[in-house]
Amino acid sequence: MNPGTELKVVLVAAALAVIVVNLSLKKGERRRGVAFAAAWLAPGAGHVVLGKWAKGLFFFVLLGLTYLAGLYIVGFRTVSFDDNPFYYVGQYGSGLTFLLARVMSEHKAFPRPELHPSWFDPGLLYVCVAGLLNVVIMMNVLDLRVRPVAAAAPAPPAAAPAAEPQATAKAAPASGAEKAP
Amino acid sequence: MKGISYLFLYIPICLVILLVLEACRSDDAGKVVRRSLSNFGVLTAVLGVGGIVVYVINRFL
Repeated sequence: MNPGTELKVVLVAAALAVIVVNLSLKKGERRRGVAFAAAWLAPGAGHVVLGKWAKGLFFFVLLGLTYLAGLYIVGFRTVSFDDNPFYYVGQYGSGLTFLLARVMSEHKAFPRPELHPSWFDPGLLYVCVAGLLNVVIMMNVLDLRVRPVAAAAPAPPAAAPAAEPQATAKAAPASGAEKAP
Repeated sequence: MKGISYLFLYIPICLVILLVLEACRSDDAGKVVRRSLSNFGVLTAVLGVGGIVVYVINRFL
């Protein structure tokens, strides 16, 4: 694929995804849209934007180590699109891996000399999975919006109305039982 | 043995995937690690049993 065309396609797709997500969010949740965009740029950045520093750092370190391990196995030469499109496209999941793939990809990747050749494909898989897992983390950024709402709900008022339906529910079978015979 | 050494690369990548998935579900670090390890055990057991079955079929049937 032509590098210029590839860059345009990826950037347009990322921009479209961010726009669609931002349009689907409510007015008070614009920060989620920013977090979603940041989550694509770097693993864990979305969680950092939302104030979850520890989890964001955890994701960044975990995916960073996976990516570096994969790069080490394949000799810091990631695969090109023409060589293996599936492994290459997997790196689109994160802006950081996408950028590194563009910088470091070579026309024909080859295994590291000191490692067994059979490690080459798993190495590419590591690189690819690091990008793909970032998509899961991006989705989690959107999922986080539900949890603060549920956690912010005060427990005592929620418990008080719940007691009434239970009382009526208990009373209903009793009255039904009286009517049945 | 060297020819199948790449199979050991399954362990870290599988743990990474399970850790990310569990970390997305829960904020409790202990729970994330515990559930990831238990799921890893189940997956490895399934893989091992599947490998044994395939070996037996190829060897004796």
